[in-house]
Amino acid sequence: MNKTLNEEESNSVSRREFFKRTASVSAVAATGILAPSTVLADDENIMHHTEWGTTLGDEVNKNPYGVPSLYEHNNVRRTSPLMSSAGDMHAAISMTPLHEQKGIITPNGLHFTRTHNGVAHVDPNKFRLMIHGLVEKPIVLTLEQLKRYPSESRILFLECPSNSAAEWKGPQFGTLQMAKGMMACAEWTGVRLKTILDELGLKPEAKWMLAEGSDGSEMSRTLPVEKVLDDVMIVYGQNGEALRPEQGYPVRLMAPGWEANLCVKWLKRLEFGDKPWYAKEETSKYTALTASGRAIQHFYANEVNSVITSPCPEVDWKDLEKGDLVEIQGLAWTGHGTIKGVDISFDGGKNWVEAQLKGLVLPKAWTRFSYMYKYEGKPLLLQSRSYDDSNNVQPTVNQEKAVVGVEGVYHRNAIMTWAVSDMGEVSNVQVRS
Amino acid sequence: MFKLDRKIVTIAGVALVGVTLALSTTNAKTAKADGAENLYKSKPGAIDGGVTYPRENGTYTAYRYNEQSTKGVHFGRKPTANEIKAWDIDALPDGSGLPEGEGSVELGDELYEAQCAVCHGDFGAGGQGYPQLTGGNKEKDENGVVITLKNQRVYGSTDAPKRTIGTYWPVATTLFTYIRDAMPYAHPKSLTNDEVYAITAYLLAQDGMVEDDDEFVLNKEKLAKVVLPNRNGFYPNIDGPNAIEDVRAFFADRAKNIGAGIRCMKDCKDPGGKDGKTPATVMKIKYEMSDVNPPYAYARDLPPVKEDGLSHPGKADYDKACAVCHKTDAMGAPAVGDKATWEATLKKGIDKVYENSINGTGGMPPRGGSTLPDDKIKVIVDYMVEASK
Repeated sequence: MNKTLNEEESNSVSRREFFKRTASVSAVAATGILAPSTVLADDENIMHHTEWGTTLGDEVNKNPYGVPSLYEHNNVRRTSPLMSSAGDMHAAISMTPLHEQKGIITPNGLHFTRTHNGVAHVDPNKFRLMIHGLVEKPIVLTLEQLKRYPSESRILFLECPSNSAAEWKGPQFGTLQMAKGMMACAEWTGVRLKTILDELGLKPEAKWMLAEGSDGSEMSRTLPVEKVLDDVMIVYGQNGEALRPEQGYPVRLMAPGWEANLCVKWLKRLEFGDKPWYAKEETSKYTALTASGRAIQHFYANEVNSVITSPCPEVDWKDLEKGDLVEIQGLAWTGHGTIKGVDISFDGGKNWVEAQLKGLVLPKAWTRFSYMYKYEGKPLLLQSRSYDDSNNVQPTVNQEKAVVGVEGVYHRNAIMTWAVSDMGEVSNVQVRS
Repeated sequence: MFKLDRKIVTIAGVALVGVTLALSTTNAKTAKADGAENLYKSKPGAIDGGVTYPRENGTYTAYRYNEQSTKGVHFGRKPTANEIKAWDIDALPDGSGLPEGEGSVELGDELYEAQCAVCHGDFGAGGQGYPQLTGGNKEKDENGVVITLKNQRVYGSTDAPKRTIGTYWPVATTLFTYIRDAMPYAHPKSLTNDEVYAITAYLLAQDGMVEDDDEFVLNKEKLAKVVLPNRNGFYPNIDGPNAIEDVRAFFADRAKNIGAGIRCMKDCKDPGGKDGKTPATVMKIKYEMSDVNPPYAYARDLPPVKEDGLSHPGKADYDKACAVCHKTDAMGAPAVGDKATWEATLKKGIDKVYENSINGTGGMPPRGGSTLPDDKIKVIVDYMVEASK
């Protein structure tokens, strides 16, 4: 079947090839006297029956669990040995293809993934969640028992605080996916932790919660109880199905808006205490060293941020013509609250116009922005700058650098710049000094 | 197709009159002003510097929720004392929670060489691509800050700040719990408590944080007393009775502590550089990190066919062209997989079966109604025979 279709493919004409062919025909015609703009080659795709229109398709349930079209096989997560130790891919990260992202829900198979000791495969029948410490009634739950608690669903982004960490000292990656893809957004379903804690009786001296994973790294983090009682959830559902193993199957913690590392995967234990724990991933890592020589610890919320996803290096403007009206669109997000607006600059941050938000505008979720632009075929330094209902405005590279320096690794949210050439090519640059 | 037609005209026009694409100034118009109102009712002062949203009248921001009481919902059971003991093995910086046991620097040296050096290098000095554990200059300035941690790789070259146990880690108990729970990397939780004390002792001894003496033996009392050089190198304060309010105050002043933008709209200046005045310039990628996996690819084409040898070459065409009748015998055709029927069919000889499949037989049209060539039809027949043995 594939071979047949491949032959078909070689006979077909891509939009761009078709354009080139017909353009050359027209150019030849144009150098003549008549210059008839109607001399067009007939599109083979219209003039002939298609392979799929003349054969029987797949049986209805050929794939009991559906898979994307084979033609979409390049829409995948990508990783880089530069983001691992010695190229080992068990403690590494893979990035969401943001240039292919539609709307605000990331498909489960494309959700970015960070692991510290490989993707654990937890047997749900052997899963246990223990909640203990400074509670009146400690408890141990099976997965089915956890699911008995009343559930809530929230659309929330998850972002690794290392997102764009390679860019502190200058632009490094030539694509949107690798420069900004350590994030995703999904509808998460689970139990609000407060619902369980109300029943267990949290003791008043409980100020901190340890969340511990069951994977080989026993990934653990300390969270303040205040946040836990506000909006933290224990989730088992991701976009309508069980969590993917890469996202912590069967159960992970979800601290809305906070760095994804705090949303401990393969969750095993929650302990309440009166002191923080100083786990490895909140001391030697996930602390942001500043130019003062001291480091920010317990760096919780992902800051107000945004990125233009169209155009971007992968989705350029090379096919546009002067005068084309085109939509600039992108994603904005904030861990502090809700996106209030996004501004766009065409000249590297000197002058700004207001973009418009579109679609659902939810707290601690990806928010789409849009701006209709008349393409003029000239070089641009395209930027987006978001602001939220918590009085945060996304900083320039210089504004962020002036406060925290360039060695912090984590929580980078400086404005990104796409340089658009007069040919419509898009590249990752930085406006900085 | 109108869009394509229009473009062709444009290109032709350009070719005729030799017009180049003019570079004019940005002419983008300001879109509809965003309302100053916040979308959702909120309260400032969250511990992370952000806002919190009320849950009231069954509404939480854009979400509705069930307002009925959940009081009395209780599933699960009380854990046994042994179960809590088995899982509650974390340790705090003051040493509480550390297990009994002990290990010497000498034993630690031996274990380290055998189990850790392969990744972390000799003596913890790194070099294999995995984290460097020891070394780095711990010297402090007059304010007690480790001087090398102030290194900034900007405005000329300097060494990267080294984040080792001696220069960066705040507390030593973390070393014990992390090695015990997560190391060795490929075999976590395989070391005994005594062995973990020994490796911890060895690593601490490398930078003089415990006695660098083979005879030195580490246990929980001694580990609790180890004070690492960078113990005070972190902020905001998270210890003591004011911790929560200290954290809140820190994140409340984000412009000062983290860096914040300003919503300037016209003729904005973005000073920077060492002097705070250097105008911004455009920095391009110097050395692109393009080593990615899978490699960059954007074509909407079919993936390369995997020749796994498991699938019969006739199966795909069978599925598309023949299965509709031959999958079951409901339409009178010999069902694939029906051993007896196919044995009977093959009594005519395989050549006759090929001939019938190409020319049609009974209710079956030639080639099953497809336009497949003879050789492909024969491969399909081979598959059907094979799958019915």
